[in-house]
Amino acid sequence: MECLLSEGGFPLSLTTDPATATDALRDGVLASVQEALGDMIVDSLVKPGDDIWARVRTESWKEAAARMRGLGFSYFDFLSAIDWLPSPFGRGEDDPTEPAPVRDSTIRRGYTGGDTRLQLLARLVDPTTSIGINLKADVPDDNAHIESWTSVYAGANWHEREAWEMFGITFDGHPDLRHIYLPTDFEGFPLRKDFPLLARIVKPWPGIVDVEPMPGGEQDESAQDGDAQ
Amino acid sequence: MGLVDRGRLPKPLTQLFNMGRSYSLWVYQWGLACCAIEMGAAFGSPRYDVMRLGVIPLPASPRQADLVVISGTVTDKMAPVIKRLYEQMPEPKYVISMGSCANCGGPYWDSYSVTKGIDQIIPVDVYVPGCPPRPEALLEGVVMLQQRIKNEDMGARWRGEGSQSMALVAARQGAAKQMIDGMSAERGGVPVVVDH
Amino acid sequence: MTLLGDRQQLSYIASQAADARVNLELETEGMTLNIGPQHPATHGTLRIIARLDGEQVVWVDPSCGYMHRGYEKLTEVRTYPQVTALVNRIDWLGSFANEVPFILAAEKLMGIEAPLRAQHIRTILFELSRIANVSLFLGDLGVQLGAITPVFMAFRDREYVLNLIEGATGGRFHPNFDRIGGLKDDLPAGWLDETRTVMKKLRRFCDEIEDLLFGNEIFQSRTRGIGVIPRDIALQYGMSGANLRASGVDWDLRRDQSLPMAWDKVDWKVWTHPDGDSFARCWVRLQEVRESTRIVEQLVDTIPAGPVMTKVPRIIKVPEGEAWVCTENPLGEMGYYVVSQGDLGPFRVKIRSASFNNMSITPWLLKGVYVPDIVTILASLYFILGDIDR
Repeated sequence: MECLLSEGGFPLSLTTDPATATDALRDGVLASVQEALGDMIVDSLVKPGDDIWARVRTESWKEAAARMRGLGFSYFDFLSAIDWLPSPFGRGEDDPTEPAPVRDSTIRRGYTGGDTRLQLLARLVDPTTSIGINLKADVPDDNAHIESWTSVYAGANWHEREAWEMFGITFDGHPDLRHIYLPTDFEGFPLRKDFPLLARIVKPWPGIVDVEPMPGGEQDESAQDGDAQ
Repeated sequence: MGLVDRGRLPKPLTQLFNMGRSYSLWVYQWGLACCAIEMGAAFGSPRYDVMRLGVIPLPASPRQADLVVISGTVTDKMAPVIKRLYEQMPEPKYVISMGSCANCGGPYWDSYSVTKGIDQIIPVDVYVPGCPPRPEALLEGVVMLQQRIKNEDMGARWRGEGSQSMALVAARQGAAKQMIDGMSAERGGVPVVVDH
Repeated sequence: MTLLGDRQQLSYIASQAADARVNLELETEGMTLNIGPQHPATHGTLRIIARLDGEQVVWVDPSCGYMHRGYEKLTEVRTYPQVTALVNRIDWLGSFANEVPFILAAEKLMGIEAPLRAQHIRTILFELSRIANVSLFLGDLGVQLGAITPVFMAFRDREYVLNLIEGATGGRFHPNFDRIGGLKDDLPAGWLDETRTVMKKLRRFCDEIEDLLFGNEIFQSRTRGIGVIPRDIALQYGMSGANLRASGVDWDLRRDQSLPMAWDKVDWKVWTHPDGDSFARCWVRLQEVRESTRIVEQLVDTIPAGPVMTKVPRIIKVPEGEAWVCTENPLGEMGYYVVSQGDLGPFRVKIRSASFNNMSITPWLLKGVYVPDIVTILASLYFILGDIDR
């Protein structure tokens, strides 16, 4: 089987030690990206044999996409966002009858860091080499606006509508920013971490009980009452 | 003939009518999600052959159907459409709810966009459990419905007795909304989004 | 511009304008046509609002979301094994194929790899779910063109594949068989022989469909030259799978990236078509079913012995990090971007489903076509609503 990536894409095997491994192909791709984008890139990361990450400045989000397209990254994969705020509801397993537990709200960043709560995430791929790059950009906290990619990649249209609906990020220059999944009168941004799943708040999470007491066992209260009488 | 609505239908005639109705069920297929494919396998494939039960899966419109099979996940965006569909069907009409999602929300019980059970919107006659139910399970559900039809008092049905009525559904909806409103007031400040 | 925010008002004005429009040369009148949200041509619950000028489509708005179940939010409150059960239901015709990229992403973050036998079985089941998925597409294609017979043939032969999947996994539709670190169980006795027999049946099914449908003159005249997508546009919209290969892009994620799966161990071919029209998309899919049967047959012959599960902790916690894994699913590229913060469940999962990108081209593609062609073009794009809406 002829493989396009015979020299670059070695398998994700345990035999390669991630600390010492290098990836000449991806390093080369990142170098050319850095050359084209210049100081638009704030931070970048290459995981050998895995993937490339780069964070670009908020104001040059669209310009970066245009230059990436010029570099041969003509395949638009997806565009979405990440809300880095730890969920105030935990994993939705709180007992509604108890007072809400206090949770640590310190933000822990992912790859290539960031300064804001909301972060855009997009992936572009070069179809000739199958090498992709994950682009990130900070979205300002007080004013969640960023430039739209629709004039660069037409396919970004629906993805931006989705991100607007789910995270409340407004894309300037988008021709048709309206609901895509949810009814028009839906309020709130579901994928923000502070959006609660109501069903989990109304009804106690059944997993709170770790082990149901055996009928007639030691912890069975009704059985104990019966003994006392 | 006016016998049914005046409630003066002789018993043998009722049984004859009921048998006729139960073996000529025109079913409208409301396929939504995964269950739709299993419903298609039950109604459309040569292997399961639903027509031997006297079920005709062909009507092109709910206005010609006796039975509707709601198969799959019902979202809050879809719910009004289903209610309108039900309202378009002529009486006597029956509903089979197929699959966990249509029964109670299923694996999406905690989702923000899924209706937790179509019995919040329309009355249901037979629930078929499973995720998705096998085609055999749906056929079993159809047979159960046919038995129910055979034992039905047509006069009572005509007067709106003896089966789940829309009033019951409305009462249940009201109770659910009241509970959720109470919860949100208690929590105060939490953005509550309920679509009913 | 100020009206753009108010959707209802905008669509009202646009429909008024379309209805009032009269083409003086052809003496055609405009009208607004609503298809769906429950219509056989929409494979479920897609709603399409088309503004017409006579018989020609002027403007199209596909309105999805009738099957939106909020997957990405639900994954945040579930553990990794629970997410596997959930993602089965994204593309419900090829369920097992949905599990694989998510499991691979989790394994990548944990730094483990499934044993060789598990990789082979995964690949076999992956291809079986592709066959089960695309064979129904081939049958359904006939229905969209007014031919009823192919869908009965598809349901008949698909049952054999479903029986195989049920025999191996216990689940006819949603197997939930893949585990982090391997598989739940080994294959039952006699399963491999049965698979060989079924693959022969499926190849005969492909021949039948090719004779019956692809050689049919009506089918050809309804699909050839209709709905052409050029290579550049297809890439820009992020189309994938057979839709991309039908536009002449020789790109298959099974071949062009290295994953711990068994595709690189067998001999098979990636089919492309230069035309980019509806016929090309259908034709490429037909060839892919054939290739899948070949892949399965070779893997069945060369399957190694050994365990199917590697050592993993009883309670699975995935280390902190981010990972992206995508595979070539029956509908196209399906990927999961998993962000983990060292917890029992993922912090955020971005699900990149193939149909969402494949469908986002329709406003561009359906502009200017005739009304009957809407149905064939949508059928040839092949989407599943659960895969669009998630």
